[in-house]
Amino acid sequence: MGKASADGGAVLRNGSLLRRRRWNQNKPLLVMFLPVAAFFLLFKYAPMLGLAIAFKDYNFADGIWGSPWVGFANYEYLFNNPKTLNIIRNTLVLSALTVFVGFPFPVVLAILLNEVRRAWFKKWVQTLVFLPHFLNWVIVGGLVLMVFALESGFVNNALHALTGQKFPFLFHETSWIAIFVGSGIWKGAGWAAIIYLAALTSIDPSLYEAANMDGANKWKQLWNITIPGIQPTIVLMFILNIGNVMDVGFDQVYVLQNPVVVNVGEVISTWNFKVGLGAGQFSNATAMGLFESLIGLVLVLTVNQIARKFGRGLW
Amino acid sequence: MKQSWGEKAFYGVNYFILSLAALSCLLPLIHLVALSLSSGEAITLGKVGLWPVDPTWEAYRKLIQGTDIMNALRNSLVITVVGTALNMAFTVLAAYPLAKKHFYARRGLTLAIVFTMLFTAGLIPNYMLAKELGLVNTYGALWLPGLVSAYNMLILRSFFENIPEELEEAARIDGCGEWRIIGQIVLPLSLPAIATVSLFYGVNHWNSFFNVLMYINDSTKFNLSVLVQNMIQSQSLLAEMAMLDPEAFTQLTPESIKSAGVLVMVVPMLLVYPFLQKYFVKGALIGSIKG
Repeated sequence: MGKASADGGAVLRNGSLLRRRRWNQNKPLLVMFLPVAAFFLLFKYAPMLGLAIAFKDYNFADGIWGSPWVGFANYEYLFNNPKTLNIIRNTLVLSALTVFVGFPFPVVLAILLNEVRRAWFKKWVQTLVFLPHFLNWVIVGGLVLMVFALESGFVNNALHALTGQKFPFLFHETSWIAIFVGSGIWKGAGWAAIIYLAALTSIDPSLYEAANMDGANKWKQLWNITIPGIQPTIVLMFILNIGNVMDVGFDQVYVLQNPVVVNVGEVISTWNFKVGLGAGQFSNATAMGLFESLIGLVLVLTVNQIARKFGRGLW
Repeated sequence: MKQSWGEKAFYGVNYFILSLAALSCLLPLIHLVALSLSSGEAITLGKVGLWPVDPTWEAYRKLIQGTDIMNALRNSLVITVVGTALNMAFTVLAAYPLAKKHFYARRGLTLAIVFTMLFTAGLIPNYMLAKELGLVNTYGALWLPGLVSAYNMLILRSFFENIPEELEEAARIDGCGEWRIIGQIVLPLSLPAIATVSLFYGVNHWNSFFNVLMYINDSTKFNLSVLVQNMIQSQSLLAEMAMLDPEAFTQLTPESIKSAGVLVMVVPMLLVYPFLQKYFVKGALIGSIKG
């Protein structure tokens, strides 16, 4: 009896049967995955072929493949044109400010929330600070315009009552940038704090008890236990955020933009939309888009290499 | 334990700062409500803070009568409901096979999908493809190019991976096929993940702005985001309404109608938000930590 079953096991293990079993297991999965694969090929990979028009002089009559190749002429135009250089600079400045200025806010928010002992208070604050993440930029933009409007805005009304003067917040380059960065922090800080909150719960509470016994005050506990405890998460998130420096997004810029601040407020995505779809300069817009995507890719890959050194790479 | 003076100060400051942060998220919305319910005169004189002055529903009446907002609301709902259903179907189809350790192409396909998160063809090639496929000016352009979000797929996949293999083995021995296993075991067990991912997709569709701006030209097909953004940016619409009905318009300013429009977009979100809150925090964590 024992011998027979051992033989049976040997047959099962000897390859072809196992391979057939694996094929039978895989068949339904492959069928399932087929529509998904078709989706990725058609909607994600096929457009990459369309990137060819970055190196062509595209015209509607000849189409993508019939239009003449022009090599890097589109890039020569982009990189010799002060206006497009300004747009690239704006993209970098706005997104770098978003990343670097905005970075500490979720960390501080999470640490403060973690210190709250009253559960109901914590829950209320969390509910409210997560909320803006779910409002889109049209809503947030509308709020910003109404709060900072020159004539009937809340802030200018208050300012007028206090000083007798008003200030054109949305039409002044410096204050526009401040409002841009600030509105990004307002919308995103609560949501971004979630990951630090999770990291904070993994700190061993006995460390605080021990510190308390030794007479360490709140400030010292924060500095010597809390911060080191979430440091790996902070480093990782910081590195990952740098990977997004090229990506300032379309919606936020578009809804906050106005013609007066176009000198600091036009970025690659909005320019692409206006010049590409609006004015039909397909080749230039595609060339700019490819440039943006490539820099973004390089940044993410570099940053992931660095993150791996901290043992926390994305893949 | 007795608190020292320093600790008391710390907690005091902490509660104060957090209250400020929470209020900064709440007060602008309340201000918006107050604006939408106040008379034009009060708004112009800057008397409206957090409470409506000379309360009136006129802004909402004008919004419903004088604009396409009801149609846009319907469009937003259609875009969101159909879009989310399609997203969920395809995301499950992507995540389930990739969660199986014995799936041949698991690693390669996952990488191919993650690559699309890192590198995209950009605006123009995507637009040209949609045009080739005849999707421009149809909601297909809003639904199809984003059928599977790689990020949401990864969330779902890690949930599926954590379902004990033995459960599925047992079902298989009892004669269940792959589809029944998904429908009767995997999906019911992953309800929190399904809820989270549906919420993410749903919010995305409800909020979609750029795609509608890009692909939809027919103004009767606009959703709330685009309609409200146009209202916020253009004075002409409001001037037009003033011409049509100068009498009623004297009580209003553009601000009250704009804020009423924004609120129409916010309220449905606020209604579902409390119910789904317990799910999405979990989802956000899985999505951001694991890859």
